[in-house]
Amino acid sequence: MTVDLHSLMAPYALDALDRDERTRFESHLDQCVDCQVELDGFVATAVRLGDAVNQTPPAALRARLLSEITRTPQERPVVTALAQRRGLRRTLPRLAVAAAFIIGAVGTGGFVVERQNAAEEHDQNVAISSVLGADDVASEAKTFSTGGSVKLYSSASADSAVIIAKRLPSPGKGKVYQVWMINKSGPTSQGTFETGGQMIMRGVAGADRVAVTVEPEGGSTQPTTAPVATIAV
Amino acid sequence: MAASSAQLRLAAEPEHDIAPDLNDLLVRVGRGDEVAFAALYDALGSAVFGLARRVIRDPSRAEEVSQEVFIQVWQSAARFDPAKGNAKSWLLTLAHRRAVDVIRHDQAATNRENKYDWSSGPDFDEVEETVTISLEHEQVKRCLDGLTELQREAVNLAYYQGYTYAEVATALDANTATIKTRMRDGIVRLRDCMGVEA
Repeated sequence: MTVDLHSLMAPYALDALDRDERTRFESHLDQCVDCQVELDGFVATAVRLGDAVNQTPPAALRARLLSEITRTPQERPVVTALAQRRGLRRTLPRLAVAAAFIIGAVGTGGFVVERQNAAEEHDQNVAISSVLGADDVASEAKTFSTGGSVKLYSSASADSAVIIAKRLPSPGKGKVYQVWMINKSGPTSQGTFETGGQMIMRGVAGADRVAVTVEPEGGSTQPTTAPVATIAV
Repeated sequence: MAASSAQLRLAAEPEHDIAPDLNDLLVRVGRGDEVAFAALYDALGSAVFGLARRVIRDPSRAEEVSQEVFIQVWQSAARFDPAKGNAKSWLLTLAHRRAVDVIRHDQAATNRENKYDWSSGPDFDEVEETVTISLEHEQVKRCLDGLTELQREAVNLAYYQGYTYAEVATALDANTATIKTRMRDGIVRLRDCMGVEA
């Protein structure tokens, strides 16, 4: 894993990174399970430092806030919006038309949490790190009401993208999530996962989006349900 | 969509008795409960303001930042997940990041030389006079005293004064790799001294 980024954990917890490094470090975190535990301890320590300097605020602040919130709208909890469902209906016929072009690549992308041996996993992690650390890395995310998310990091210079799924709602008994890369010739399966995982996809140059659908265990040769997430590459 | 980078990472800190209540308040705030918001402010207003004041110094600017932080809490409380963090960590992490961004922005507009003209030791003692002395504070002070000089200076400049580690390195005339290591050693020692579990 990227040693350089790992050394930024303490500065990150102290908010001692500039914006660019902060963003890059957060990308690193997304694929570093080990980091999270240590980071939690560091952040909790920083919070103690913060809590130690408390000071009574001016009385007027309270009144001002209580008045201001009555005029301030709140974000609603994230749900699968109706607008998105409509968008997906438009997408579906295209997916169906494209089905004939799908090659039997189900599972070859292989999420690292499943069935890969340690060496392959290591190689994949190195490759993932190189995408997340690329100068031109861009990210898009979709968040679920459970707090889970699907994030896509893509880098044109690496001609690769990394998808990281975390804590998705259970796809249901006997079902899995399946990842598709979609380009002009249609969707190509990239692999399946249960509620989370990460994987690298090569050759993203011609792709325009990545979709995640719920499919029967073992995956399908073509998408059979409306995507739960569609992310532009 | 920039949501991913703005996402804060939180400590899953097993906390004392008060934490569940604050978590519950924050969840209620997420549902638009104004009474819960007032109670949350009463519980954490001094922590947020004190931290902003410590980093920014200017009382009126610190008050503005505290206001922004609490408005942000009101707006985004629905995103808070009590299973993954606690309310106090959430607010103080937000407040610190906002205070640091503000002080850096403000200082970029002034003569940066002044910023590097830092020569005396960290003035934790001076500030101590104006803060509420609590048991927690005593413990934090004792633990900070237990660090090496360079560890303490690195942590102080970064956390309490909003310096980036590169700026800390310049201020302390050390290389950045050394400063990153000192920050890490310092925070590990503080964590163990304060008995933080995670």
